[in-house]
Amino acid sequence: MLDKKIITQLRKVVGEDAVLTSKEDLNAYSYDGTATWVHAPDVVVLPTTAEEVSQILKLADDNKIPVTPRGAGTNVSGGSIPIKGGIVLCTTRMTQILDINKTNLTATVEPGVVLQDFNLALAKQGLFYPPDPQSFLGCTIGGTVAENAGGPYCVKYGVTKQYVLGLEVVLANGYIMKLGGVTVKNRTGYELTMLFTGSEGTLGLITKITLRLLPMPPANKTMMAVFDDMAVGGQAVSSILGSGVVPAKIEFVDNFVLRRIEEMTPMGLPVEAKALLLLQADGSPAAVEAESKQIVDILKKSGAREVKVAKDAAEAAMYWKMRSAGFAATFGAAHTVLAEDVAVPRDKLADFIRKLEEISERTGFFISYLGHAGDGNLHPSIFTDIRKEEEFARAQKAMEEIFEAALSVGGVLSGEHGIGLEKQRFLKKAMDPVAIDLMKKIKRILDPNNILNPGKIWEEERV
Amino acid sequence: MAKSKQDRYEQIKRFESDLTQCMKCGFCTFWCPVYQEERLEPSVARGKNMMIRGLLAGELDYTKEYADRLNKCTLCMACTTNCPSKANIPNVIIAARADTVKARGLKFPYNIIYRWLLPRRTLFGWVVRFASWFQGIFLPRTEGTIRHLSMFLSALGKGRNIPQIAPKFLRQIVPVVNKPPEGVKTTMTVGYFTGCMTDFVLPELGKHVIDFLNRNGVEVIVPQEQGCCGAPVFLGAGDFDTGRKMADSNVRAFEGVDYVVSDCATCTSALKDYPKFLADTPEREEAYTRFAGKILDISQFLVDVLKLPASAYKPSAQAKGKKVTWHDPCHLSRHLGITSQPRQIIKSIPDVEYIEMPNADRCCGMAGTFSLYYYDLSKQIADKKVEAIKSTGADIVVSSCPGCEIQLIDSLLRNKVPVKTMHIMELLA
Repeated sequence: MLDKKIITQLRKVVGEDAVLTSKEDLNAYSYDGTATWVHAPDVVVLPTTAEEVSQILKLADDNKIPVTPRGAGTNVSGGSIPIKGGIVLCTTRMTQILDINKTNLTATVEPGVVLQDFNLALAKQGLFYPPDPQSFLGCTIGGTVAENAGGPYCVKYGVTKQYVLGLEVVLANGYIMKLGGVTVKNRTGYELTMLFTGSEGTLGLITKITLRLLPMPPANKTMMAVFDDMAVGGQAVSSILGSGVVPAKIEFVDNFVLRRIEEMTPMGLPVEAKALLLLQADGSPAAVEAESKQIVDILKKSGAREVKVAKDAAEAAMYWKMRSAGFAATFGAAHTVLAEDVAVPRDKLADFIRKLEEISERTGFFISYLGHAGDGNLHPSIFTDIRKEEEFARAQKAMEEIFEAALSVGGVLSGEHGIGLEKQRFLKKAMDPVAIDLMKKIKRILDPNNILNPGKIWEEERV
Repeated sequence: MAKSKQDRYEQIKRFESDLTQCMKCGFCTFWCPVYQEERLEPSVARGKNMMIRGLLAGELDYTKEYADRLNKCTLCMACTTNCPSKANIPNVIIAARADTVKARGLKFPYNIIYRWLLPRRTLFGWVVRFASWFQGIFLPRTEGTIRHLSMFLSALGKGRNIPQIAPKFLRQIVPVVNKPPEGVKTTMTVGYFTGCMTDFVLPELGKHVIDFLNRNGVEVIVPQEQGCCGAPVFLGAGDFDTGRKMADSNVRAFEGVDYVVSDCATCTSALKDYPKFLADTPEREEAYTRFAGKILDISQFLVDVLKLPASAYKPSAQAKGKKVTWHDPCHLSRHLGITSQPRQIIKSIPDVEYIEMPNADRCCGMAGTFSLYYYDLSKQIADKKVEAIKSTGADIVVSSCPGCEIQLIDSLLRNKVPVKTMHIMELLA
């Protein structure tokens, strides 16, 4: 429990109604989007300005109180769980879009702006911000920067870090630091902006973000391909990317998810298909026409049983709606769903899928996939029940094998979710020990009292 | 001991599948009108659901804070409609309210109002009438046509523009049996559920509904024994016991008719909710289900059952030549799935221009008792609705829920927006 004096001081900083202490409220900040991690904070603070954030951090640093930054809590890594208690610093009330500059193609926002609200504001001006984590309806931009999030569009457009030009970050000691700027090019010193992008709230509190924008592509076309074999579908993805055309999105849905979606919202999907690819080409109308023709050709040659091109926006919307229902279909399928986030080189997709099939057979766990095939970022999921100790342990073991399979083909531990709590026990296998040590040293320089999101990314050394 | 624990969460347990269906994605934050204002996790469906899970796990209890977080929901259903895993958290919230009432009872003055006053229609009418004498002394009278009533006493002093009580209630001016006029063939007989609002505040609307139906060959029965639908009692306050008494008497009152028509979206939805929330015995289950099957919203009845031709819809004097926009009551659109019928009616009226407002189905923030507990929050939610109405340039905003209409009148007046609020039937001659 925190000293009452601390609570009083926090109230002085942000006001009475922005400090939550009741058991009921603390319970609401004890979880995120994962199934496994729960820990309540001692207090929740909702600042509205960088100055308030600064005062909160100073207070926390002086008193060595853990501070866990949190946006909307849609993350799926355990990253926003206040695992050491202390303060949850929630940015959901920092919701100003400070600037949208159509001629410089940049925008500056506060961290609590919800991605979808940002997208809607941009759309009014014909602008486009590509990183599209599928939690866009809830997630805050601050969270997407701290997690360096990605989504379907990243095949062609890259992930969040490719769009972050400048940041305002409050350091653990309360100093409000400005990094980067509003220019696309900037070669001034180390890339410190990138140090904080993807730092999972362990190095500083992001209070302002400048992002690079694109004009909205004027045309797009959606295609769907049906496969009788998952690995053949994976191979088709590699073939498309090798052919000189980069679709905006290439998404992968397996038979299990397909069936579940059709059960939940019947729309006449080919439920006997083993795998389904959803693709989108975008750009100028002429380019979209040419690219989609090329994509369809390759899909057919790669062994797709059926290829469909959406006739109109409504049909395209239906396919993408199905894709976004996919993850609900997966998560609703069992008491505990261990959803993984490995990413593999895109020319190794078929190999990786074969390995997964083998793991599934050997461990007896059904593995479902749903993900961003175009960037090699599949989300293999294992269905289990955390309440059944023995089974859950075996499921975790199977998950470990999935990681190893991904690493063995040159892949990585996490494509877009981050390490948080969920994946830290695998970090040693996935990262050079000297690099892990370097991270810890950087953390110590920036946060000597270890108050910022302690207990995340790497496993703590047991004393 | 085991049994008492079972009883403690009796209603919540009935909706356990909704409770467990939530996979904590947090997408509901985008749709929740309360979260959009407060930006607090305890405001949104996911937070409330996790709080109720905490209660079941024994980590939380029936505290003041628990009840407060539970009450802070408009039951607008936007979360459920947009939920990727289709978790109906409002079900869980209503059930949890009921268990709270069972465990902790109702507080003054709600215990008096819900348990004693609302179930007694005639007495309630007298109290409302009595209160209306004082209304002019304490509060400015509303210029709009709709005048508040339901939680009239509690609303006093909160600064809301409170509607006037009618000099004569509907039940005092219309007979039980209303036959079509001479020369019009009777094709159908329906019961008319008047609801408190139409009865006490809007008798002229009720009269007009009856006339309109009569002119179109429908005989209208207005049983004197009907009472309040129970929405504020069992949905709002979670008092299921009193809710059952009210449900039973309404079911009895409409025994003889095949259809029951209502012009209040909240009533319509609440009457249809009897089996889901209140059926505690096989007999009630059967009776409530049969009753719910008879209930129709007025626009649904006109379009889907009576199948009136477009020519049947003529503009009333107030509507003629006006630009009109439609506000979807939550109880009509998301609870009952009725969205096309009212639009079809408005678009059929000659000399009336229809303009769709942005986010027409977004909650107006009234939500009955919600707006009494949280008037400031309710106003903030309503202000977004006012912006949407303003953006259409309409002269009249139309709805078919007196609850929404009170909120719209109050909010438009407060924001000094000269747009009139009307019930959809008031558009029709």
